[in-house]
Amino acid sequence: MANPAPAAASTGGSGAAIAITEHRLANGLRVVLSEDHLTPVAAVCLWYDVGSRHEVKGRTGLAHLFEHLMFQGSANVSNNGHFELVQGAGGSLNGTTSFERTNYFETMPAHQLELALWLEADRMGSLLSALDDTSMENQRDVVKNERRQRYDNVPYGTAFEKLTALSFPDGHPYHHTPIGSMADLDAATLEDARAFFRTYYAPNNAVLSVVGDIDPEQTVAWIEKYFGTIPAHDGKQPPRDGSLPDTIGAETRELVEEDVPSRALMAAYRLPHDGTREADAADLALTILGSGESSRLYNRLVRRDRTAVVAGFGLLRLAGAPSLGWLDVKTSGEATIAQIESAVDEELARFAAEGPTAEELERAQAQIEREWLDRLTTVAGRADELCRYAVLFGDPKLLNDALPKVLDITAEEVKAIAGARLRPDNRAVLVYEPTDGTDDTAAADDTEEETAA
Amino acid sequence: MSTDPTPAMTFHPQPEPGTPSPWAFPRPDRTTLANGITVLHCDRPGQQLVAVDVLLDAPLAAEPEGLDGVSGILARALNEGTDTLTAEEFAAELERTGATLDAHADHPNIRVSLEVPASRLQRGLTLLADALRAPALPGNEIERLVANRLDEIVHEQANPARRAAKALYADLFDAADRLSRPRGGTADTVKAIDRAAVKAFYDAHIRPATTTVVVVGDLTGTDLPALLETTLGTWTGTPAAASVHAPVTADDTGRVIIVDRPGSVQTQLLIGRIGPDRHDDAWAAQILGTYCLGGTLTSRLDRVLREEKGYTYGVRAFAQPLRSAADGSGRAMLAISGSVDTASTAPALADTWTILRTLAAEGLTDAEREEAVQFLVGVAPLKYETAGSVAGTLADQVEQYLPDDYQSEVYRRLAELGTAAATEAVVAAFPPDRLVTVLVGDAAVIADPVKKLGIGEVTVVTS
Repeated sequence: MANPAPAAASTGGSGAAIAITEHRLANGLRVVLSEDHLTPVAAVCLWYDVGSRHEVKGRTGLAHLFEHLMFQGSANVSNNGHFELVQGAGGSLNGTTSFERTNYFETMPAHQLELALWLEADRMGSLLSALDDTSMENQRDVVKNERRQRYDNVPYGTAFEKLTALSFPDGHPYHHTPIGSMADLDAATLEDARAFFRTYYAPNNAVLSVVGDIDPEQTVAWIEKYFGTIPAHDGKQPPRDGSLPDTIGAETRELVEEDVPSRALMAAYRLPHDGTREADAADLALTILGSGESSRLYNRLVRRDRTAVVAGFGLLRLAGAPSLGWLDVKTSGEATIAQIESAVDEELARFAAEGPTAEELERAQAQIEREWLDRLTTVAGRADELCRYAVLFGDPKLLNDALPKVLDITAEEVKAIAGARLRPDNRAVLVYEPTDGTDDTAAADDTEEETAA
Repeated sequence: MSTDPTPAMTFHPQPEPGTPSPWAFPRPDRTTLANGITVLHCDRPGQQLVAVDVLLDAPLAAEPEGLDGVSGILARALNEGTDTLTAEEFAAELERTGATLDAHADHPNIRVSLEVPASRLQRGLTLLADALRAPALPGNEIERLVANRLDEIVHEQANPARRAAKALYADLFDAADRLSRPRGGTADTVKAIDRAAVKAFYDAHIRPATTTVVVVGDLTGTDLPALLETTLGTWTGTPAAASVHAPVTADDTGRVIIVDRPGSVQTQLLIGRIGPDRHDDAWAAQILGTYCLGGTLTSRLDRVLREEKGYTYGVRAFAQPLRSAADGSGRAMLAISGSVDTASTAPALADTWTILRTLAAEGLTDAEREEAVQFLVGVAPLKYETAGSVAGTLADQVEQYLPDDYQSEVYRRLAELGTAAATEAVVAAFPPDRLVTVLVGDAAVIADPVKKLGIGEVTVVTS
């Protein structure tokens, strides 16, 4: 099912501390458990420390295509058996691939937890005994249709891919997005998939979390039973170095003329790495500037100038490369890009000079707190966050510090990060100008992908 | 191949399930405030985000002639300030409270949804009450909402899924029925909306006596009756009779409408008709059968279209109540929806019709029925883990004139249903010769092959 996750939610921390216990199997599998008996459900989440940043030139999209193959059966599970067994037990499931990791998850009625563990172990240990050309060819077509549906056939659909490519230089591990290119999807071979599995799918490259109505002792025993004999291996290559200077130094810009409904100004600002205090300060700055209907950009562009129908900022948190501050403005009526751009620049400069008001900071912190509560309200949300802190930052218990850290940020820090980073010379810009829909250039772009079908 | 697929791990037999814990869909308590508001509430310990859903008895069919979309503009304008706060101040107060307040207008009513941390419930309810009781409906903000809506219409037109829905509703329903026209209005009708029109619609339809409020979440230590009386209870208004919804009818003669979208790399499919809503005895069987047809990627449609042929990322079959009535004359939209690469359009449709005909001829299997029941019933505790999902379903029940224990009853019936009943319901729901097929895609490429399929007369439209 495979949803590449282009934008991470704002994160903070939970108000009430979550009880967390950790274990490690002899083969290196890290296990994180959290008990909660309110509802008779249990979430299983498995993060493999591999994402599109590990892909090599000519094989973009492989991590995500591989994620699909993980649902095509293993030694003791038939093709599609994973879906059939989980749903037939009253559970829900999926997997997603991002720049930095691939996750697989099942939420089960509590009495069916053992089945989910058995299924995850079976594919971690024995996927290659079931993987064949039929699955590979079929899922290649499915993923290409996923790409068409989510990106190629919708207005502005390739903006994320284009702006990411502008933000990270050619050859950088984050230069391409998880969905990959049609040409690379076509080029991937069964042997590529097998090599990918042998390299990255190992117990010592994964974190397993189980959250909900569980008996921790019994859960650890099951995990030991099913995962314990899967051999560790050390074939993994670390991702290429994603470090970059703190700021870009000069604006990069691309003009896209396509059949879109209105002009658009999109930009990505280079921001601090996820996990740092500065990233939290940047999150607050972007929230104040561009999240919700009391934000500065919304008030300026949508309410007062009436030049935009949508105006907002989002934060794409990245741990292995600079995070990105994501600006998205769609114009209203006949408003021009020049009008929008000068208003945005004016608002950002004013904010950098003055910093947030006390009320703005309070509101932004309340918003982030609510988003965090929302994220942690389900056992599946908690299981995913525990894996995130374990895989990206080495310690799942950091989850309990996340919100207090955001609430501790001062107005001065927010002002400082805005001044240092939210500058025209620290962004990549993507501008959309609509054509009348019969433009030959736009049509040619489309048919290139279609011939591959 | 150089791979040695022999796994080194020790295998164990597939485990047997443990003992299920009892779970039931939560039963709400009902009260009525002094001003006539009907309240359903439900304590869900641990759910720190409280969900409050409000149903305002303002059906789209009540919009004045030529003002389609006025209900939607009113819904949005409820967020644009009160007797004491400007629009900007109101938005800021909501955010300071850590709350979100969304409102949208649909055929049965306007639904307003507040989500707020339990610790700030009082402030959240006060803001909600002010928005309902004394919305400022400021002229300048309404002018802006109208302009925004006009921009959105252009964006919706560019979105294949939205465009397919618009074309299906326009063709399926009689032009005189509000169901045939876009919920948010057309450019022509939206342009005609001003403050006076919004205010008149508010005055005519929004009042406590015909309003229902659903509150779900961790209410530990909350004196909810007192809290509601001092917030929503301060709203006053004249009594009025509840709206009565007209029966739903549609022309489901099998036919194909191609909405031309030159250069599309995929075709958006929306294949629909109308059928029973939740008042019908067959509803549970229809849920079960429709799930077997197209509820997930292991259902009949995706088993072929996705997992065998690779034509699509996923195709789903579903039933969605449109407008219900107490007497059971309401109906649901029954549809199959998804997108396929352009070249696979006619082959995917051919396979879909084959699947439907085979289903009618041979029926569902007991194994399919068993797996579907296990999923639909077993997934309930997960589906209703959050306060928002419980509130949404309780509000749906009220909106559709169903008893408060309706959802629990559906689970009970699903567990008892046989394979034959599920087959009968899904075959009745999706008869191959009574489906209206909308295709949004490149007509120059797809029209001829689709005409050869014989699934109905083909019309190509450009808007």
